[in-house]
Amino acid sequence: MRFFSFHLMPYPALPDSYDGPAWVTVPNELFDPAVGHEVYNRYLDELVYAEELGFDGVCINEHHQNAYGIMPSPNLMASILARQTERVKIAVVGNALPLYDPPTRVAEEFAMIDNISNGRLIAGFVVGGGPEYYSFSINPAHAREKFAEAHDIILKAWTEPGPQEYVGKHYRLRFLNTWPRPVQQPHPEIWVPGAGSLETVEFVAKHRYAYMGIPYFHISVFDRMFKMFRDACQQEGYEAAPEQAGWLCPIFVAETDEEARRQYEEHFWYFVRRLLPGITINPPGYTSLRSYEGMMKGMGTFALSLKTWEEAMDGVYAVVGSPDTVYEKLEENLARLGTGNLLGLFQLGTLPADQVMPRLRQRFPDGEPMLDPALSKGAA
Amino acid sequence: MAALTESQVDTRVGKVQVRLGGEHAGRPVVYLHSATGEGAFLPFLEQLADRVDVVAPAFPGFGESEGIEQIDDMEDATFHLLDLWDQLALDAPAVVGLSLGAWMAVELATRYPERVGALVLVSPVGLHIPDAPVGDIFGRSPGEMAEDLFHDQSHPMAQLMHSFDDYRSDPARMGELTFEMVKPVLQSMSATARLAWDPYLHDPKLRKRLHRVTAPTLVVRGAHDTLLPRAHAEVYASEIPGARLVELPDAAHLAPVERPEALVELVAAFLEGDGS
Repeated sequence: MRFFSFHLMPYPALPDSYDGPAWVTVPNELFDPAVGHEVYNRYLDELVYAEELGFDGVCINEHHQNAYGIMPSPNLMASILARQTERVKIAVVGNALPLYDPPTRVAEEFAMIDNISNGRLIAGFVVGGGPEYYSFSINPAHAREKFAEAHDIILKAWTEPGPQEYVGKHYRLRFLNTWPRPVQQPHPEIWVPGAGSLETVEFVAKHRYAYMGIPYFHISVFDRMFKMFRDACQQEGYEAAPEQAGWLCPIFVAETDEEARRQYEEHFWYFVRRLLPGITINPPGYTSLRSYEGMMKGMGTFALSLKTWEEAMDGVYAVVGSPDTVYEKLEENLARLGTGNLLGLFQLGTLPADQVMPRLRQRFPDGEPMLDPALSKGAA
Repeated sequence: MAALTESQVDTRVGKVQVRLGGEHAGRPVVYLHSATGEGAFLPFLEQLADRVDVVAPAFPGFGESEGIEQIDDMEDATFHLLDLWDQLALDAPAVVGLSLGAWMAVELATRYPERVGALVLVSPVGLHIPDAPVGDIFGRSPGEMAEDLFHDQSHPMAQLMHSFDDYRSDPARMGELTFEMVKPVLQSMSATARLAWDPYLHDPKLRKRLHRVTAPTLVVRGAHDTLLPRAHAEVYASEIPGARLVELPDAAHLAPVERPEALVELVAAFLEGDGS
């Protein structure tokens, strides 16, 4: 079992008077650079701290023109982390490949991070969220084709000697010859986050990469998602290894269940009610009809439909409580899902600085510090 | 009203659904539908078939028509129409297009003017006109769209669109939506995105080619169309040689759906006169 600290880097200061979506059209006048300066640096500190606590790695991701996660360039963050940490894996989950033209840029920047960190990069490739296709005016009907071509270009750039020619439908490169090459050979570990679309699951299974389940659904949706993934691996003629799957989940620990709820709930609802609206916008052609049919089953359980705290806890939208409660719930659900990677979100919504790092230091009943050795024992 | 018959035509991209009606002398009329994929049920076509021969293909990706994955943009769409014309032994039919279909008709008429005998452009998109932006069709709810598309919100199709918003406004009720309910819209809008996501509902090169259209042309717009500003119809009417513009009262963007009788009269009179 590997433990990662994931940061979304949310914008925590949407004014109360604003009740629109947090994506695509959320007016950029609402962004206060003074807040930006403070939280970018604070959030980086929170990630760097994960190394001190014994985490296996840190995770960051890419989203554009939104308040949910103000990290349009995770590669900038990863390059800072490459210098400020020494041991942890740096998982960029991921770069939205169709947004890089030519996608050679991803091969270059990821290789740079892998060089600077001496082989600690986990390279995430993602199709990009629905909102990104509005924000960048990229045709969603070409999302999957572009993703597949960009992936091929990056792998060729990393693993085949250049210069070589690449001629595809969307990208044409007469001299593909990327400098630098990655430290990790033949290439860094590759992760692909997904929300259950069949195309993505089949792609990951085929290439034997790792599939990271995107959260904010009822836990039963994850059951279905990871079963789909394991089935797809079997179709490819092998059994999925636990390390090939990851569960992303908000986590908060306090002395007691009641105390945890008291400290966490308002920040959780800021995240759900202020930052999630707009994330589900589904541009036409982005999801195939056969995938859409399957994904509809989970849509009614998306976190936006949550009405009560009890519903959120029952559906494991977040794991919140005393050390005992959190330990048991994580153990139970990691076993249930069979995932070999836990991607914990320890900061969520407006959760302030004084509630993030101290909570990560919370000790479990056996005296072990948060997460690392204690949970590894339990869930292995 | 003349009933239309269903048939299938083999094209290079796959089987395409075509509805046919009428047994008249004179130029047949091809109807090119809009992004809503109307035409599977459209009294306008049956009424029109009382006056002229009607050929109503479903574009690939709409209804049961195959092959949208082989069509990437409006240029591919134009070549698909040429193939279809050949398969159906249409030399230079009159073309009546609505919105997206009208744009497609103009693409054909600018490149192959000899294959279009007469042109009726109803609420034609296809142009970018500064200060006259086209409303959004890809990010709004069906109910919001209905406000722009219909003058009369009590029209059955408008009512259906509004009913979808009842589900969307309550995430908990999303679960009640079935795939079969949303499939036609998903399919139509996915196909439309391939053609019109970027550039948004226009071809930057189209305007400078409008002078190449030789067919007699009638531009029609609904007086209450709030999706497509009047300037678009005006540019088409002024820059296609000899074209004229008619405004239909009591209609918004989807005149063939909302005002079938009035539009049949307009089209038939045009085809008997200028467009014969």
